Amino acid sequence: MNQRDTSVPPRLLLLLRELASSLLPTLVINLLCALGVTYLMRIGGSFYENLQVSMCIGLLAMLFINGTRLAIWGDGPPNKLGFLVLIAVAAPASVLLGRLLASLLLGQPILSLVPEHSDNIIAVIVLTFLVCAGATLFFWNRQKLAALEAHASQVEKQAVQAQLQMLQAQIEPHMLFNTLATLQSLISTDPLQAELMLNQLVQYLRTTLSASRADSTTLQKEFDLIKAYLGLMSLRMGMRLSYTLQLPEHLGRLRLAPMLLQPLVENAIKHGLEPKVEGGNCTVRAAIHNDMLVLSVLDTGVGLPTSFSLNQPPAQKEPVIGMHFGLDNIRERLATLYGPLSELIITHNVPAGAMAQVTIPLKMLKAAHRPAKSSRLLDH
Amino acid sequence: MPSPTALIAEDEPLLAKALQQALQRGWPQLDVLQLAPNGIVALEQALALRPDVLFLDIRMPGHSGLEVVRELAEQWPEGLGQKPFPLIVFVTAYDEHALEAFERAAVDYLLKPVTAARLDSTVQRLQTLLAQRSASNQDAQLERALAQLRQLAAPAEEPAAPRLEIIRAAVGNRTRMIPVEEVLYFEATDKYVNVVTAEGEALIRTSLRELLPQLDGRQFWQIHRGTVVQVRKVQAALRDEAGKLSLVLHGRPEKLPVSRLFAHLFKQM
Repeated sequence: MNQRDTSVPPRLLLLLRELASSLLPTLVINLLCALGVTYLMRIGGSFYENLQVSMCIGLLAMLFINGTRLAIWGDGPPNKLGFLVLIAVAAPASVLLGRLLASLLLGQPILSLVPEHSDNIIAVIVLTFLVCAGATLFFWNRQKLAALEAHASQVEKQAVQAQLQMLQAQIEPHMLFNTLATLQSLISTDPLQAELMLNQLVQYLRTTLSASRADSTTLQKEFDLIKAYLGLMSLRMGMRLSYTLQLPEHLGRLRLAPMLLQPLVENAIKHGLEPKVEGGNCTVRAAIHNDMLVLSVLDTGVGLPTSFSLNQPPAQKEPVIGMHFGLDNIRERLATLYGPLSELIITHNVPAGAMAQVTIPLKMLKAAHRPAKSSRLLDH
Repeated sequence: MPSPTALIAEDEPLLAKALQQALQRGWPQLDVLQLAPNGIVALEQALALRPDVLFLDIRMPGHSGLEVVRELAEQWPEGLGQKPFPLIVFVTAYDEHALEAFERAAVDYLLKPVTAARLDSTVQRLQTLLAQRSASNQDAQLERALAQLRQLAAPAEEPAAPRLEIIRAAVGNRTRMIPVEEVLYFEATDKYVNVVTAEGEALIRTSLRELLPQLDGRQFWQIHRGTVVQVRKVQAALRDEAGKLSLVLHGRPEKLPVSRLFAHLFKQM
């Protein structure tokens, strides 16, 4: 489960990011040290002077430790003993340098910084060492927490993905056997038609079953799959089913997640047109409106049940119907892949039937499926 | 003996044709009268043509195959000189649960794609049944179909729901509390169940299917797809000239029709 980006940012960038996020806690720690040194340890000097010195020492130590760590261990976890040595060196060095820097800033003669009481300087070095070690622990924990959170969100994504794979593998046996029965009848009466149907079935099965399907597909491929499915269904339903596919040529290469559109088409057939005595039409359409990709599946079937809204998650009492499960999965994937501006709406079609519409901001779509390495640009 | 007749109800035209052709090969004497493309036409044509055998797809628009048989059993004319109820063969592509139920109720069924061997054994069974039929009582066929339907309708073993004691029904902006003993009958309407007592009626927002397991089966009997009556409130069961059964209740003027499926509950002792 490697979630590092494919292009590792240079270490300098890493350092800057690290420093920016450590700055505020470091300043707070420095302030606390100045308070402690002035009022608890009473090593002399005013609070203002000690604050200056503490700031210089603290910032230097932070720079020194972080810089060295990134230089040696990079983004990975540091060696524990090595890190202890690093702190042991960093503490006295930053104390001496920090005091020097502070005296320069305060405009005091450098000589006065030569410690008259060596006890004091040792106490400060020990304090610095302890504070550095403590601060390191604090930052480590913070990083671990962030990593855990990232892991959790990753797990969530994987759960949605797993659900999708389950859905993909769920080819309805009823559909399959009915299609096979039709094939069986065609083989003797109309071998050419049988062959065409077999090809469509193979294409449909291959794309739907394949669990190792890529993260993204193109609209053209998705429409091909839908065409195979609707072709099968129209052979079976005869005059009862007509269908229209509208994919503008320039949208064919647009990439999107698989199985967003196909389940909606299957719903339209299964819940809309198959139960309707006279059958009807199914129209699948892709278009761009206001920088949004809009995918619509319209049917003239029996329409939506009036008793409950399909745009709400099912109430707990209601049994989880297959349709709801599929729609929920589409919604979850839209949200995780394309953010809150993407949506799936199920509504009534005029004058009869239902309409399902998926809307995705083009920007999010392109960001989510940026072609890896190759700089093939979408010609849209 | 005239050649036997059949009706095929199947919404996919290619499959209907295929079954017809397979039957022509396996049972050349059988006269397939018509192919019905949906449940509504199947019911109409079955009543009009009175075939000997009915091949019914389970999943059809209009009525499902099961609904067709249920309605057909309700409307089939009974009595002397009438044609016996058709032999039913269900045809299905895949229905895990339905198949189990068919086995239990000893219903004939064919699986799509239909294999020649399976069709042959079904044809043999049908021929045997048709030969026996002419000898036996005309109504036996309907009784057999009804028994099978009852079997199919029998609920699977479910954990008993807690008994309902008081019904909370909406009447305007009040909630009426009705003890179940006071209920004369429940009647399913569009989305609600109408609770009828001697005092009046009230609606509850539930389905009869959800309600039934919560009622004591000895006290409350289902007498129709949409009606459940409290037996103690029934005064008498009447049979009209057409053989239809209906119930007269204590304290209510209306008569409740009894479906043929449940008529056996009111046979004289």
